[in-house]
Amino acid sequence: MKARAMWGAYREYWRINVLTTLEYRENFLLWLAFTVVYHGSALVALAVILHSFPSMNGWSFREMAFLYGLWMIGHALHNTLFSNVGEIPEHIRDGEFDRLLVRPLDPLFQVIATPGQVFPDELVLALCTFAAATWYSGVHVDAVFVAFVPLVALGGALIDLGLDLMIATVAFWFVRVDALRWIVLQLEQEFTRYPIGIYSRGVRLLLTVVFPFAFMNYFPATYFLHKAENGLGLAPAIGLLTPLIGLAFVTIAYLFWRLGLNRYQGVGH
Amino acid sequence: MTQAPPRPRFRLEPYVEFAKVAMAREATYRFDVFTSIASLVIRVYLLRMVWVALYARNAAPENLPLHAIITYSTVALLMGLVMDIDQTRALKDKLHDGSIATDFMKPIVVPLYFFADGTGEVLFHALLIVPSLLCALFLVHIDVPPPEVLAAFALSFLLGYFVGFCINFILNCTAFWTLEIHAVQLIVTWVTDLIGGEIVPLLLFPAGLQQVLMLLPFAAMFSTPLLIYVRVIPPAHYLQALALQAFWLVVLGGAAALMWRAGARRVVVQGG
Repeated sequence: MKARAMWGAYREYWRINVLTTLEYRENFLLWLAFTVVYHGSALVALAVILHSFPSMNGWSFREMAFLYGLWMIGHALHNTLFSNVGEIPEHIRDGEFDRLLVRPLDPLFQVIATPGQVFPDELVLALCTFAAATWYSGVHVDAVFVAFVPLVALGGALIDLGLDLMIATVAFWFVRVDALRWIVLQLEQEFTRYPIGIYSRGVRLLLTVVFPFAFMNYFPATYFLHKAENGLGLAPAIGLLTPLIGLAFVTIAYLFWRLGLNRYQGVGH
Repeated sequence: MTQAPPRPRFRLEPYVEFAKVAMAREATYRFDVFTSIASLVIRVYLLRMVWVALYARNAAPENLPLHAIITYSTVALLMGLVMDIDQTRALKDKLHDGSIATDFMKPIVVPLYFFADGTGEVLFHALLIVPSLLCALFLVHIDVPPPEVLAAFALSFLLGYFVGFCINFILNCTAFWTLEIHAVQLIVTWVTDLIGGEIVPLLLFPAGLQQVLMLLPFAAMFSTPLLIYVRVIPPAHYLQALALQAFWLVVLGGAAALMWRAGARRVVVQGG
């Protein structure tokens, strides 16, 4: 019964998203152009740097393009399915979140299914970039690759979701978490661009254990590209753990979220 | 018969007050202060690691040794603290909510009000350079050039700042005609960061492209002052470099003035 209600609400959510996008077409195209420029400028910057310096700790531009593409599919999947979760702190602050608590469906589901101008354009762009990067880097595409890439993308999206959820939970206690969110976002966007071998050991551990961004692209990429080093001297097959890490991470985040939600009493509106 | 009121004499004090108010306003966002310093330190660390890794395994470009490129990147990030501010954001906001109409009724020169407000905001963020620099010095060593180079850098930075101001002002002025400009502004910011030499020195771009990019106003914002700082532009070429920046300032300043006049007339016609 409840599952059916949720499914119905979720379908309606996507219907409204698509209609909104169609209604504000110019706006949609402008933001699509921004998405292209955003990822394009990151890739061009990498291309320029590696044009002058052909090797980054043993990685070529072709391999780094694959690294970027792999991060992009997971991140874009998260942006398509769960982008609303990142907005929770703002809605806790302005009191909007409290309204969800008096409705019969799960609050987190309601957040995820709040319509906006969501469209899978970034995901399509990410898939194209990833396909191009795979071809360009000469990765051997076999059954393991085809089976695991979607799981790696899903695991990556779950890692992103877990972090958003943890930050949202922190917002139950500390209303202003913008600074924290901004810094974590920056760690993800800029530190996933390069092979983690270039960082000091502490930062490598941070990106593996605390904020497991390295599982979004670095570890799976070292496995698929058959790179000898993987920054922490672990077995290459660790790259295949991404879906499990994502699942475990989001589970921990969800338990933390439930704990916060049960203690939450509003911010005084 | 009513007499036209005498044209009020221009006074500077109100604008100084506007700037002071803007500074005080910025200082209240303590979290943002913390974020900008922390994020700068994180990026200084990242860039140091990136350049160290690249220089370790490749031949260094002849005129840009490792210490120079680390200095370049760190100074670029510190410049970003003031350069990345959209000083005339208030213009766009006021066009959105219509409050610009009452500003036109006040006995002030409206563009100068926006300039004063933006300057206050920028001055506050310029103060952040000091703690940011101190934090950055824990991570990297920065070359300090002789005073005459520093003076040329300061002048070039100032010219670049005004070029950036004009570009932002022109973008915000487009809100007179179309309201949805946020995406366009972000696109311009991202493109500027890349082809202005803030992230990657333009010296590393392929030769032909590099020559074109160096002529653009975006290079006038970041690349020119930075290349003066790391002494890739020698004193013999200062005049040429500064003249190109001044040229862009005149062109963009003129364009900004024209846009403002055309836009302000529109508001009056619509009746606010």
